Order: sequence, then structure tokens, then C-alpha cells
Amino acid sequence: MASSNKVIKSSWAEEVESESALTPVSSEVFENNVKIVTEFKVLDNSKKVKIVRTYKIEKRIVPKSIALRKTWNKFGDSANDKSGPNPATTFIGEDVYMQFISSKEEDKKIDDGLDKLKALGNKNVVKCRSCGGDHWTSKCMFKDTFLTNANSNETKPTAAETKKSESLKYVPPSLRQGNTKRSDNTNRRDDNYPAIRISNLSESTTEEDLAELVKPFGFIHKLFLAKDKQTGLCKGFAYIHFKYKRDAAQVIARLDGHGYDHLILSVDWSRPQE
Amino acid sequence: MKPLILQGHERSITQIKYNREGDLLFSASKDNKPNVWYSLNGERLGSFNGHQGAIWCIDVDWTTTKCMTGAGDNTCKIWDCETGKETGNIPTASSVRTCMFSYSANMAVYTTDKAMKQPCEIFIIDVRTIDDSFSRQEPILRIPISGSRVSSILWDNLDESLITGHENGEIIQWDLKTGKKINSIKEHDQLINDMQWNKDCTMFITASKDHTAKLFDAETLMLLKTYKTERPVNSAAISPIAEHVVLGGGQEAMEVTTTSSRAGKFDSRFFHLVFEEEFARVKGHFGPINSVCFHPDGKSYASGGEDGFVRVHSFDSSYFEYNFDY
Repeated sequence: MASSNKVIKSSWAEEVESESALTPVSSEVFENNVKIVTEFKVLDNSKKVKIVRTYKIEKRIVPKSIALRKTWNKFGDSANDKSGPNPATTFIGEDVYMQFISSKEEDKKIDDGLDKLKALGNKNVVKCRSCGGDHWTSKCMFKDTFLTNANSNETKPTAAETKKSESLKYVPPSLRQGNTKRSDNTNRRDDNYPAIRISNLSESTTEEDLAELVKPFGFIHKLFLAKDKQTGLCKGFAYIHFKYKRDAAQVIARLDGHGYDHLILSVDWSRPQE
Repeated sequence: MKPLILQGHERSITQIKYNREGDLLFSASKDNKPNVWYSLNGERLGSFNGHQGAIWCIDVDWTTTKCMTGAGDNTCKIWDCETGKETGNIPTASSVRTCMFSYSANMAVYTTDKAMKQPCEIFIIDVRTIDDSFSRQEPILRIPISGSRVSSILWDNLDESLITGHENGEIIQWDLKTGKKINSIKEHDQLINDMQWNKDCTMFITASKDHTAKLFDAETLMLLKTYKTERPVNSAAISPIAEHVVLGGGQEAMEVTTTSSRAGKFDSRFFHLVFEEEFARVKGHFGPINSVCFHPDGKSYASGGEDGFVRVHSFDSSYFEYNFDY
């Protein structure tokens, strides 16, 4: 392998500039069958980068014709390249593996999935809001008829119609009829028992800790510790329903301002939701 | 395995070919500079500068002295492999779609496209002496094609006949002495993108847009095997040492932007030659693979894709240890 160091003569102005940049000259080192090429580059943001490439030099015994071809001079766009691969045109790719396929089923499964999606087509993806069909609302066949119906109903909605429209419209769960009823029920039932709210609990508090804390005061009807859904950690407050108001009042008196788990608890009567 | 990535082209690769010994890899792309590489380390030997259009085809003779390219600039050029100099230039009436040296490299064939009111035509030329008079030299034989155009070509039977693959899926065998059809079959429904020999030239494999690759007997054009995929096959090659074929393809380039690369199936796919069953895949390209070929020693293969990269893969030991269960 031949390497040549060319000394490029340039004008003194350029030389001064290159000296001020102080870019070390790239070097090639041969060491027992390993070629180490060190290059220095100045990036656009005037950062200097050192690039070290290591090549393993192998010797192979090849037919004469191949050996002869190896000595050919480079031509065309590669005419100025040095011997050895030019990093601009040749690089080593990421490791890829040959994926062996043991059975055909695997392949089919993937295709089936795709086909299934295709077969579904517009069916479940698109739903008309006015008639519930497999098309966009704007493309509904009954669009015109429905609109006229709606106009006439606006003036005089019958009970049945409004019920229907309600069922079609999206209602947040909190506003749904069934939900309010339920919450009313629960509230009413729990209102029978005196409730207190403990806040400023530490994250690590568990239901057992809380029970241990308030049990001595009297009979507990219900204990609720607010926990984060994802992490399961305490959100910092809890509601406790006692059987007797006397016990609850005692808890408030004793635990409000009590130091617990490096935090100071704040305990008060639980205010009913509005 | 860590593939060597050859990045010498600015546009999609159209054809890649190893020379007979496999030490050089020739690549042609839609930019106008075919390249030649050392297959062992991926070092670029050079580029053949001179064309003005997309290179559609490239071939090298068996002594690796001459290289031939056909391009969209209505020329077919002969190059000297050692110096990269253009030695012969044949102007044509329309773009050159396929070209190939005969086995002895005394003759060469090229075909032109049916375009600009010109018919598709097969030209057989003498390439023994390439000098100044070469471009004015009359072809030995001209075969005008009235039907569907030639999309791939092979020399057959020690330079006595030709096999052409056509745009409509037809395969025709031509007698060179008379210039007449000997045999024709139509096993494919769509364009035949590529045809390649097996090692001893007794069988050839076709790659077609109709999502299949097929193996044919060279003498009788009998259909032997069919390899089915879900995408158009752009290229197929037969391993010289194992009973394997590799198919490269993927969906058409114009549809690529509308789907993810996972769905595109841009893998090289290995099929068993006899059982027609796929047994392995190699990923890597970002676009459809336009050309695949095995190294003549069968220990590595190269693929060139629509993404403009040529990837040279040397097989791991797992490939050689793999036994097909049957």
C-alpha cells in the first residue's frame, strides 16, 4: 500500500489563516496489520473534531488477474482518492441479521392482520352521527331529511324526541343522569355518618397506616385514602367516616396540627360536595 | 453481518453486477455515472464519466477488460475497465434498456426502447476491435420487435441464441443465425424486470412485476419453479453454491411515500430453490430493491435499491449452517 504526502503550496495569506486555525495535520499510522487514520476537521460551528478510523489490513492470496486489478489506478470521480476505502463513498452499515423464517404461519398472521383491517374498511372507523351508518355525517343520505326534521322539532319538541336526542348526544359521565342519581344516593347514605377530611398526608401513607392512626378514637364506618391511579401512591388526603360524631370531633381536636411522617396534618370536617 | 454500504450514486440504482471473479462490482444508477467497486472492502475503483442520461444497464466481459453501459441519453458506450476511459460509443435512436456481452465477449447485444416513434429493436454488435470506426460499424444483426418491448435479455447456448424477457411477461428465444424466434412462452402476466443465470447456465430465473419470480430451463423454456411474494419482484439471483435464490423487490417506487417501510417489504428474501419456500430475510434498504446478485463464490451478495445505496452483505456462519427442514 503506497501512501504519498503532498505538500500543497499556497499563498502566504492562506497559510496565516490556517496557522491561526491550528488544525493538526491528519496522519496515517501503520502498526502490525492495522492502519490508523487520524483526521481533524473544523465544523461549521467552529468546533474541532478528531476522527480516528481503524482499518485492518488483510493479506489474501488471489489469482493473478485479481492481484493485477488491485494495482489499477483509480479513475473518474475516485481519481484523487487514496488507496483504501474512501469514507465519503464507503462505510460500514449497522449490523443486520438474517431473519430465518421457520414456518409460513408467522408471515400469514401479519398479513391476516392487515387484511382484517382492510376488511373492516370504513365500517367501524366512520360512523354517521345522524343515522349511525358507515359514512361521514356530511355524506349521510338522510342529511337533508334529518335537518328538516330537526328544524320542525325545534319549535315543538316532544318528550320522546328529546330523550332520543339526549341518547345520541355525547354526555360526559359526570353529567349523566344515572351517575348523579348514584352519587346522590351515596352522599345521602354517607351523610348519615360524620365525615372528616385529613389532608397533608405524605406520599408513602397507606390505608393501614391511616387506620392505625385513627382507630383508637372510635369505630370507623368507612375509610377512603385518595391514591394516584397510575403510581398507587397517596395523593395527600383522606376521608374518614366515623360512626359517632363525638369520635370524629375528638379526632379533629387531637390530630389537627399533629406531626405525622415529617408533615403536619390538617384535619377538619369534610364539606359536602356542591 | 455488517454490510458494506456503497454510496457513490445520487439516484436510484438500476443494475449491479459482479465480474466473473467477483473482485469487482459494477453499479449503474439513474444518475449518469456508473461506478466500479472492489467488492472485498467496498473501495471505489472509479466512475465511468461520460453519459448524459440515466444508465439502465451495465455489463462486464469475462476478462474484465471491457465494460458496457446503456443509457437514456440514446447511447450505448463501451469503457475500458482499467482506465475508465470511454472507448466506444454507439448512438441509438431511443434509449438503451438492456445490454450484455456474449459469453466469449466477441459480440454484445443491446436493445432499444419503443419510444419517439422508434420500434423496440435488438442489435447484435461485434466488439472484438474497438477503435474509431466502432461507432459507424453496422450491427451484425438487427431484430425489430413488433410487439411488447424487451425489458431484459440473456445470451444463451454459448452465444448461439438469445433469450429476451418482455414488458408483457413473454419470454422469447431467438436463433442468432437466422434472427428468427425459436420458442416463446408466456408464464408471467406483467413486465419481466430481470433475468439471471444459474452458475452453469442451464437454468435462469426471472423477476416479474406480477409478484413472482420463476425458474426456467434454458433449453426448452420449461417452467420449473415459482417463487411467490406479495410485492413486485425487481430482481432475482441464484446462489452459485447452495440451492437458494434471493429476490429483491418491494412495492413500486411511486407508491413508497404512502406506506411505512415496514409495510413496504424492502427486504431481500431468500427462497429455497427446490421447495419454493421462503426461509430468510435481510433488511436494510429504505426503498425497493432494484437489483440483487450473488458473489460468484456464493459467500456474499449485493443489493442495490431505489434509495441509491448498494449494500454488500457477507454471509454469517448462521447462513451456511442453516439447514432447510423437510
